[in-house]
Amino acid sequence: MTNDAEPVAPIIPWWAGGLGIGLVLIIAVALVQPIGVSTQYVVLDGVLLHEIFPDVASQSSYLAAAAGGWTLATYEFFFVVGIPIGAFLASLATKRFTTRLVPREWIHRFGSMPGRRLVWSFIGGFILLFGARFGGGCTSGHMISGVSQLAVSSLIFSGALFVSAIVTARWLYGDWGKR
Amino acid sequence: MKLLLGLALGASFGAVLQLSGASSHTKITNALRLKDLTVMKLILSAIGVGLIGVHLLDALGLANMKVKDLYLPGLLVAGLIFGVGFAVTGYCPGTALAAAAEGKPDAWVTILGGLLGALVFAFMFPDVETYLLSFGQYGPVTIHESFGIQGFLLAVPLGGLCLWLAAKLPKGGAVR
Repeated sequence: MTNDAEPVAPIIPWWAGGLGIGLVLIIAVALVQPIGVSTQYVVLDGVLLHEIFPDVASQSSYLAAAAGGWTLATYEFFFVVGIPIGAFLASLATKRFTTRLVPREWIHRFGSMPGRRLVWSFIGGFILLFGARFGGGCTSGHMISGVSQLAVSSLIFSGALFVSAIVTARWLYGDWGKR
Repeated sequence: MKLLLGLALGASFGAVLQLSGASSHTKITNALRLKDLTVMKLILSAIGVGLIGVHLLDALGLANMKVKDLYLPGLLVAGLIFGVGFAVTGYCPGTALAAAAEGKPDAWVTILGGLLGALVFAFMFPDVETYLLSFGQYGPVTIHESFGIQGFLLAVPLGGLCLWLAAKLPKGGAVR
């Protein structure tokens, strides 16, 4: 499958997406609690580490607090497990499942070498979750859930996130200086 | 029962992310480059609906709110770090899961990097807590409570503003 085969155009318009995400949040707040994703990366880390090296895992109060009881059978973890399931079914239903290795914008800028994209995806992923845990949330926990609750912490995190992401993306893809 | 509810809500969230283009590297990257603002319109409208819905529920006493603590220098630094990772990968922690399920290998690798980043943070946390989180702590502050007013009085007009902005914001140079 070639890279150009990646379908990009959204199936539903932005307002339907916004309404859908907003409704998921409202139902979650009504029945359980606001939505969040990034904590579950720590929970999975904690449970896996606890399986292999229980002593090491128990030493970290942060891991122990996040993965309370070292179990994955929680509402929060199942919410996060649901995300790929829903996305998988949606991509199958709309025939947009694709194993393209390097995304189009990346190829235009950095070429089609898979190794480069994968190495930077790993480093980027590291930075992403390090930042999210530092800030106590990510796009869903802070930007969607937090801002909707008028939380000052979430407004500050989201503002800093967007400034940083826009500056980085425009620098990375060489947009500064060309109009 | 609660596990099933989590799975169903998460699956709905993942399907919407996939169908609306939020899990697409191209859509996210071009939004951050300010070339295609579709994802910005999506986020603004989600926040608009969320603000109004969550605070109307709260006014009826039906909302389970959970506000995160404000710690000033730390949150700013964290947001700046997160933004770099967001721009480099083109994914956030949630959309990476959706993109991985669509078959994108770079999203799988982003998740692996993320698991390591989260683990490293977990073991650094005692030090981070000592140096960065120990001052500028204000607890779970919200805008409406600092003004001493009902949330929906502020959230409904602000939510309306977000929806209006989402509608007015140009899509920008549409991505082919």
